[in-house]
Formats: sequence, structure tokens, C-alpha cells
Amino acid sequence: MLARLLRPSVTAYAHCDLPCGIYDPEQARIEAESCYKTIEKYNASSDEHFKARAILVKEERAELAKHHIDVLWSDYFKPEHVQKYPEITDLCWKAAKQASKVKQSLDPGEARTLIELIDKIADVWTKAGGPQATRMPRAVGARA
Amino acid sequence: MEPGVRQGDWILVAALGRRPRVGEIVLARDPRARERLVMKRVAAVSERACTLLGDHPEESTDSRQFGPVALADVLGRAVFRYAPRGRIGRLEGRR
Repeated sequence: MLARLLRPSVTAYAHCDLPCGIYDPEQARIEAESCYKTIEKYNASSDEHFKARAILVKEERAELAKHHIDVLWSDYFKPEHVQKYPEITDLCWKAAKQASKVKQSLDPGEARTLIELIDKIADVWTKAGGPQATRMPRAVGARA
Repeated sequence: MEPGVRQGDWILVAALGRRPRVGEIVLARDPRARERLVMKRVAAVSERACTLLGDHPEESTDSRQFGPVALADVLGRAVFRYAPRGRIGRLEGRR
């Protein structure tokens, strides 16, 4: 009863990003991997309908990769991170541009370059404490 | 806002009735979603607005993202934490 009386009447947010605060470069990587595999399948196929679909899917995935890179860049990385890891500005910029290139290209090498750039972003994210700060811990034993 | 304020703290907020001062923790409307309230530390005060920053810059979402907060949207000043028991105490302003 007393606790109910004393309970605060409003809740204020002192922490946490507005949407959810969950960030992981893996999200961009999965889309970039999709691009890579789709390009491979495109090149291996002689079915024109399949090839047309492959291009469509690849462009869609490349756009998603670009979106996820942009979310990391504009929402996750803060001025403090840039100060500590100045390379991140260039990395995000290059990765976003590379995603556009993958959208236009059917060269698996371009998709490979995109994956490598995302991996470099992931390195910075890991160094900045991202895995602990922006992901939820997995259930013990859920992943061997 | 850690270490100043932690999730789950119960805090007494006093109406301001004056301009906020640099260093004190205030309750304010989030300019991006006005029904949402935030609790941040005042970093700077100008004629009509103030800049609010979290205590933990790498993790905080504050005026660096949502911009200056109009003085009219600063609702009060955090003065006292009355729960949890181990953390009861006055909330000091700091610079």
C-alpha cells in the first residue's frame, strides 16, 4: 500500500535510444552475403527468368545492406567513437558506397569487398563494446 | 545517465520556477516525441533553450541527437532519490 503511494507517477528515460538500442553489423553482413550468393547463382544460371529474379533480389538485398550500414553510422556510432576510432567515418562511407556498387554490378568481387568493409565496421563495433552494449545476451548453451 | 541516475531509481522532481542551471539533472520533454520524458544533465543554457547531455556520452542519447531543448520543456529538477534503499540521497548538481 505504502509502496503504491510512493511509486513515481511518471516514468522518465535517462538512458537508451528511442527505438531499441539494438545494433549489430551482422545484420548488414547477412544482406551482403545474400548479394554475394545471388550473384553467384545468377552467373551459374542460363534461365532468363531466374536471372531476372536474381537481379531483383540482389538489388533489394544491397539496398537493405546500405540501410543497415546507415543505421549503424547515424544511430549507433557517436562522436566519442569517432574520436577513438577515426577510421569509422571513412569505413561507413565506403561501405555505403560499396553497397550501391553491388546494386549495379554482377561481379561477385564487388559483393566480397562489401562484406570485407562490413567486417571492418564490425571490428570497430566490437572494440567499442558493441556486443555487450547493443545486443542481448544469449541463453546459456543456446550456441555451442 | 549512469552513474547520476540509474534505471529503476525513484526520484523526486521539484518544479523549476527558474532557469535551469548548468550541472543539474532535469526532467524534460523529448523534442522528438513530446509525450516522452527524459532525465539528463544540463550542459549549457542559452536565452530560450538548453543543451542536455547524459553522464555516459558513449551510450547516451541526448542533445547531440535531439538538439537543444526549449526552456519551456524543462519541467523540473531532480532533487532527491528515495528508492532503492541503498541509493537514497540528494542528487547533487555537478559540472
